[in-house]
Amino acid sequence: MTRRYKKITFLTGQSRPGGRAAWAMLLGCCALLASMLSVARAQKAPEASEEGKRVYEKSCAHCHGIEGRGDGSAAENLLPRPRDFTRGLYKIRSTEAGQLPTDQDLFDILTEGMPGSSMPGWETALSANERWEVVAYIKTFHEGFKENEAPRQIDLSGKIAYSEQSVETGKALYTELGCVECHGNVGRGDGTSAPTLTDEWGFRTWPANLAQGWNFRGGGDTEDIFKRFIGGIAGSPMPAFEGDSFLHFGLASEESKRLTELESKDEMTEAEEEESGKFYEKMDAAVDIALSITEGETLNTEDRQTFDNAMRVVYEKSWHLANYVKSLSPEKRPEPAIGNNVLRAQYVGGELPALGDAAWETLKASYFPVVGQIIVEPRQFNPTLDSINVKSFYNDNEVAFLFTWDDRTHTTALEDEETGKKVLEDALAIQFPVKVPQGPTAPKPYFLWGGRLPVYLWHWKASAPEQVTELTAKGINKAEVQAVQSNIQAKGTYTDGQYNLWVKRALKTDDKKDLQIEPGVFVPIAFSAWDGANGDVDTNRVISSWYTFVLEPVPSSRRFIYPPLVALLSVGALFGLRMFVRRRNS
Amino acid sequence: MKTYMLACVALLLACCYVLPIFADHHEAGEMQMLQFPESYKGMAVSNGGTISGTVTFEGDVPEMKILEITKDETVCAATEKHDESLVVGEGNALKNTIVYLVDISQGKVLDKAVKPEIDQKGCKFTPHVQIVPVGVRLTMLNNDKVNHNVHIFSSVNKPVNKQQTKNRKKLRLAGVKKAEGPVQVKCDIHGWMSAWLAYVPHPYFAVTDEMGKFTLEDVPPGTYQLGYWHEACGTNSESPATVTVEAGGTVTQDFTLSMKKM
Amino acid sequence: MKRLSLFTTCLIIFVGCWVFLRFIVGSVISVPIPGSVVAMYMGLILIAILVHISVEDSRFREFLRPLRETLVDDNRRVRRRVVAVLVPLVLLAYTYSIFAQRANPPGNPRDAHPSPPLELTYKDEVIGKMQEVENPFRHYEKDEPEAFKAHVENGRRVYYQNCFYCHGDDLDGQGHFASPLQPLPANFQDPGIIPNFQESFLFWRISKGGPGLPAAGTPWDSAMPIWENMLTKDEIWDVILFLSDYTGYQPRTFGEGH
Repeated sequence: MTRRYKKITFLTGQSRPGGRAAWAMLLGCCALLASMLSVARAQKAPEASEEGKRVYEKSCAHCHGIEGRGDGSAAENLLPRPRDFTRGLYKIRSTEAGQLPTDQDLFDILTEGMPGSSMPGWETALSANERWEVVAYIKTFHEGFKENEAPRQIDLSGKIAYSEQSVETGKALYTELGCVECHGNVGRGDGTSAPTLTDEWGFRTWPANLAQGWNFRGGGDTEDIFKRFIGGIAGSPMPAFEGDSFLHFGLASEESKRLTELESKDEMTEAEEEESGKFYEKMDAAVDIALSITEGETLNTEDRQTFDNAMRVVYEKSWHLANYVKSLSPEKRPEPAIGNNVLRAQYVGGELPALGDAAWETLKASYFPVVGQIIVEPRQFNPTLDSINVKSFYNDNEVAFLFTWDDRTHTTALEDEETGKKVLEDALAIQFPVKVPQGPTAPKPYFLWGGRLPVYLWHWKASAPEQVTELTAKGINKAEVQAVQSNIQAKGTYTDGQYNLWVKRALKTDDKKDLQIEPGVFVPIAFSAWDGANGDVDTNRVISSWYTFVLEPVPSSRRFIYPPLVALLSVGALFGLRMFVRRRNS
Repeated sequence: MKTYMLACVALLLACCYVLPIFADHHEAGEMQMLQFPESYKGMAVSNGGTISGTVTFEGDVPEMKILEITKDETVCAATEKHDESLVVGEGNALKNTIVYLVDISQGKVLDKAVKPEIDQKGCKFTPHVQIVPVGVRLTMLNNDKVNHNVHIFSSVNKPVNKQQTKNRKKLRLAGVKKAEGPVQVKCDIHGWMSAWLAYVPHPYFAVTDEMGKFTLEDVPPGTYQLGYWHEACGTNSESPATVTVEAGGTVTQDFTLSMKKM
Repeated sequence: MKRLSLFTTCLIIFVGCWVFLRFIVGSVISVPIPGSVVAMYMGLILIAILVHISVEDSRFREFLRPLRETLVDDNRRVRRRVVAVLVPLVLLAYTYSIFAQRANPPGNPRDAHPSPPLELTYKDEVIGKMQEVENPFRHYEKDEPEAFKAHVENGRRVYYQNCFYCHGDDLDGQGHFASPLQPLPANFQDPGIIPNFQESFLFWRISKGGPGLPAAGTPWDSAMPIWENMLTKDEIWDVILFLSDYTGYQPRTFGEGH
């Protein structure tokens, strides 16, 4: 078994500025020591040690249950559900399909957690030793670990480097293999099958949004993605890439290409029928070998060779596909628009760009992460929306915003299954204070739709994509539609799992209940969003904290006047000083 | 005195700890599983008897729910699809009931040459209930020209989750080692598709037809427990029927089922 | 070796101190010192230097000598010209940078330990004086360990059904909902939190949540819910027991001075 030394390290995952070399060396030594220890412990049998039990019951049982059934007291409100360890189905593994994870896999998940889920990393909370004890302990929940057979690991040696061409190949496979069904045309998890997926336990599950690699449970590296293909994501609807005919198992790359070509034809000629028939036969023979492996038979050398060759093609395809998936996400999660990194509307001279105008591409979006609203009941514990991305332009009279957010479903009118009454739909609300607080210590309205101080809201709903309603709210349940609606232009579109909402309003209105916008004034801004397909309605929603937005003032032309003036004066002052000193000397 | 108190408290605590285990076992019973003999020996059976009968439904027959087709409408919604968890025919005949011998330990050899199939025609599994002998490969058919995904929710054997893209007319699945059932088969791509499987260790399993009829042939003479399972009506695993088979004879055992209590 | 002039020495000390404060200290403690603190120290150092050079008349003259030489001496012509070019240039660049700088949003000053009201209440019910109310289940810790354990367990359940989303599995304020929130949820593993407060204070913070904070605590920003709307009184006391049991930190008792 190969071990991933680099993963057990104290150096990654923290990006504090100015780490000292000496510290790094010391920590490096510790990491090395820890990794050496890990090798010594790797073969640990499932063992109910006192220490493992103690740590498990203190840190894990509240979600995964005392008996490892995934039914701890917190489990009820969590999606994805905490794993039921008794089934031996582990999503994130370095091992082949149908295999159990290695100890190192379990240790790595404990250490790093699972992004996008409620599983945290335990690197700081538990010592390496404690984590190893927990690994041994959770193995006692599933009989299969007792067989103590080393699981077959996925071979990463044939990695195909990232290249435009590989991405192209991967993109074609993405459609051919049917990934689009769940993950959607461009991978935002918006496939037509997405709304009906359940996991092995019957719980609701959503396909990954491949454009948000920071939420991938097992990490967003190309290797991580590759391992999810070969090993599958056990317990989820994601199939593993094994000896299966949909991968053209048994065909060489060229043959596979040819078969795809043939099958894409509406009708085949007789010769083509014959040609494809041969391919089918070849695939059948190879699949036979794969099936007998699954059934536990030992292969003769010739079959083993055929199988290995066929698997090599599957691995190649998987690397291309992994490169394509990797290409869909930014390198890392965007920085939230906090600190000085606030949303700055850029000045343009004439007409503001409309929706779809290329001018929008010139701006970098500000990233506003959102979380489930769990402050007022009913609460949303399992949000499906990650963030709202915003760009803005303004001119002398108006301001235009472009709000962009990923939502796996386009919901305009869905009946609530529970009550059968309320109509669920996707929506977005943009929140400002009615009056901008003057100075840093001046009170703001309560960030959750106001309180004592009111907030001013733009409420947009997917069912009326060209309309924004102005609201005034003094609380999450105390919003009122304004009697006087300003002239706000809006246009919302939904394409491939993504909403784009364009809104334009005059900087100044006559309505005292509206926010008046001035260049250079920092205005608090916050968001609420609803995913109807996730049951979001009213307080069931995602929310953001207060952020800041400003109409970035056009740089003052005084910057060309005063500095030269100051320089000139300083020359004068120097001469004056010289004269003064000279006169005194004489 | 104090020791007694302590012992009592300890006992109480122990009980609290142990009780949930029983509770869980109870739940497992509620999962409505088929029962299999601990071992089964295949042999030649001559002069065996036959068990046959009819399964009928008792109670108000609910109207079959029309399934909502949410994608690939041209293929999948060409004909109306119904929820097949309860199919009641003429004379209240109950289709898709598995009837089987619970406690047979030897009998005719399990035929492994059979080629069980499930077709996914028009985005619907046919048949709705299929018997697959242990070790036999199940074949999934797809002539739909749309992508399907075969997901078999096994828990005793390993779950199966395989993509069957539109051009793959046949998908063969590896034979399983252990008897298990009923196991649900679903298509992740078309969430409404559902079927049931039983991986069986002996040949005395039958699924009722449209007329609610079943037949088990070549049963060695003797007294057996006859069990059933139905998706919507549950099982009789707590009190299976007792049948006595005589050499060359035919016994009839009918069942009347009603909706299982939720 | 020629001795450095007083002016050069002072300059070196001044610049050296700045480099030390700005770069070296910051990287050793791995948190940069805030600019305002650096400015304060530099002000003190400047005053010290000015005091030093102005104590004696002769020393002051000695200090000014290189400046005077630069301005008027004939053999300092090169240096004079360099200064005449450099000083206006530096001022030009500096003034330009001030004008070109884009405005940054105001900071968010916030009192993390706001003062509590005099009376502790649950909804409208007065429990008692803030400085007197104790956790009604705390005494079980000594009297009835089994009952205490049951209360801690209930607190654990309450915590993991309600609080851990933000405050984290390990009570470290790093729950899966935490990172987008401003301010960040409290970290109970921080030794500055639980040991610094009486249980009545914790009860107040939990029961009234963000909106119950005084203005200095910026109640409009806090995502802490008003838990008295969702939890019973006993559940809040239990969860406080759990917080101290899990972290091993004992809340401050009334015996200790404030």
